[in-house]
Amino acid sequence: MTTRQGASAKGAVGAPRLLRYLGMPVFLGFVCLALYLYVSAQQLDSIEKRILNADFLFSRVIEHIQLAAVSTVIVVVLAVATGILLTRPGTRGVSPVIIGLANIGQAVPSIGLLVLFAIVWDFGFWPAIVALVAYSFLSILRNTMVGLQQVDRSTIEAARGMGMTKTAVLFRIELPLAVPIILAGIRTALIINVGTATLATFVDAGGLGTVIDRGIRLGRDPVLIVGSVLTGVLALFIDWLAGVAEDILRPRGL
Amino acid sequence: MTEEATTDEEQTAETMIRLEKLSKVFPGQDEPAVDDLSMDIYEGEIVVLVGPSGCGKTTTMKMINRLIEPSSGRIFLQGEDVTKVNSDKLRRRIGYVIQQIGLFPHMTIADNIATVPKMLGWDKERTSRRIDELLETVGIDNSYRDRYPKELSGGQRQRIGVARAMAADPPVLLMDEPFGAIDPITRDRLQDEFLRLQREIKKTIVFVTHDIDEAVKMGDRIAILKQQSKIAQYDTPENILTDPADDFVRDFIGTGASIKRLSLSTVSEIETADWPVARLTDSHDEVREKMRSSSRDHVLLLDEQNKPGRWVGKEEVQQDDTPLEESGRPAVAIVEGTASLYKTLDTMITSFKGSAIVVDEEGRYQGVVDFDTVLEATNAMHSSEEGREETAQDLQTGDDGR
Repeated sequence: MTTRQGASAKGAVGAPRLLRYLGMPVFLGFVCLALYLYVSAQQLDSIEKRILNADFLFSRVIEHIQLAAVSTVIVVVLAVATGILLTRPGTRGVSPVIIGLANIGQAVPSIGLLVLFAIVWDFGFWPAIVALVAYSFLSILRNTMVGLQQVDRSTIEAARGMGMTKTAVLFRIELPLAVPIILAGIRTALIINVGTATLATFVDAGGLGTVIDRGIRLGRDPVLIVGSVLTGVLALFIDWLAGVAEDILRPRGL
Repeated sequence: MTEEATTDEEQTAETMIRLEKLSKVFPGQDEPAVDDLSMDIYEGEIVVLVGPSGCGKTTTMKMINRLIEPSSGRIFLQGEDVTKVNSDKLRRRIGYVIQQIGLFPHMTIADNIATVPKMLGWDKERTSRRIDELLETVGIDNSYRDRYPKELSGGQRQRIGVARAMAADPPVLLMDEPFGAIDPITRDRLQDEFLRLQREIKKTIVFVTHDIDEAVKMGDRIAILKQQSKIAQYDTPENILTDPADDFVRDFIGTGASIKRLSLSTVSEIETADWPVARLTDSHDEVREKMRSSSRDHVLLLDEQNKPGRWVGKEEVQQDDTPLEESGRPAVAIVEGTASLYKTLDTMITSFKGSAIVVDEEGRYQGVVDFDTVLEATNAMHSSEEGREETAQDLQTGDDGR
């Protein structure tokens, strides 16, 4: 989880960086074009036509993005806040308990977690969101804690010694210095959520998993291929976006 | 140095920091880390807290700005009891420099320096002017303003650390081993620079170190602390080196106390030896006459500007055919009046006949010192304390060859 930041922290500069930024979208564009050409070349039957049309696919992509985005926003707020609380003095006793719970959330297979929430609560969008949040909570929590703990004690001592309040130290020193590691955690959580959202179709929450699932159940290879490739393209695109965001949001001077 | 002269002033100077029966017991420990410490620190002086590791010197310093809250006792700053005031606001009145410096890596040099002024609500223009001023004071080029700490060398960072601590012009600076993590050569330079700076800014400085040599160099007064911050001796470096209060202090100073003491006196403070002097333009007879009338077997010849020229001996001056400009040997072992006795002794050891010529800043002759004069001077330093602690003195001076 924390290893990711090592690779991306030292971003390439200048022309190589531009190439890195443009390379992925161009590549994904070509993949989509190839997919379109492949589907156009097929003789589609009525079942395939009902799935492989722009309206249906677009709705599934939107559903998928909604699942991933909403769950990630919620988990960022919850896990970063928890991470801050658990690194304050006075919460040492609670911290192993919370981390233990977060561990369970991540250790249980995601499909089990999804179905479990659906059974004890309800089917649909929100139970799926809760499952995704529980599943990706640990990666952000752990990175937030590590990020805050790795801030040089002497930097904090200097800040306190100059008369910064504890709150000012947190927001002006600790969090900015922890940003690269927290961002890496968020990126990981986002990727987990994009992937796991594929399973949300089993609790009736839609997403691109629906396309894959129908492809398998109806034995239609073009449908299966379109579903799988679109999932992959979406995941890579979001990862790319997160990478760009990391580069932009990382404080200068680090 | 001029400590003897300033001691009287210090006693009348205003007390800047007063610690009164200060104690600190950390939770879960039976023994106090600091036990019943009282001390006064006067305005404008550098007080060095020095002692072995774990003696509580850093804890003591951190109680002054209440980074560590005292368990009991009171702290006064400029006569005001600050033991219970808002500690964040208190710290904005006290500069703070630590060994690791602790610059904020994600802020530019300018933003780092502006930390306290911003908290105090200074407007942009005033802050900016102050940054210019401070960068100049600590000798960092203004082009570094918008750079980040990682682009600076260790010595530069330390300078910025000092500039940041002085940003809002606090009357007091606390420095916790500020030069501890810097290579010896840079450290020496930074110490000198800082002492020069202190002569201008005249802050009250509490300086923590474990290095007695640094303490002797930096301190106007030194507090040698035993375990639990018990004061073993609190005095000027001169008095501590010549008259250690007890065995603890003596052990802590270590060997070479008398040599260290020499670095605190300048050669202009001691009596120069009586030495025959003539001019390069004098005749051989005049020089011979000078030599006869003194007990020395060498005469120092000066040039027209009174600068030392050559040494000539008894035999050399007999040779009438050799002009005085070429006889004898050139006078090279020369020190300025402001040089320390330590440096003078060093010069003397490598010089001809074990003597050094003292000159003023223009290079004009002031006198000659030799081993005897230095020995007399050091004896005088010791005898002023003699009788107070006779046995201790005997031990102390036993290896001085007295």
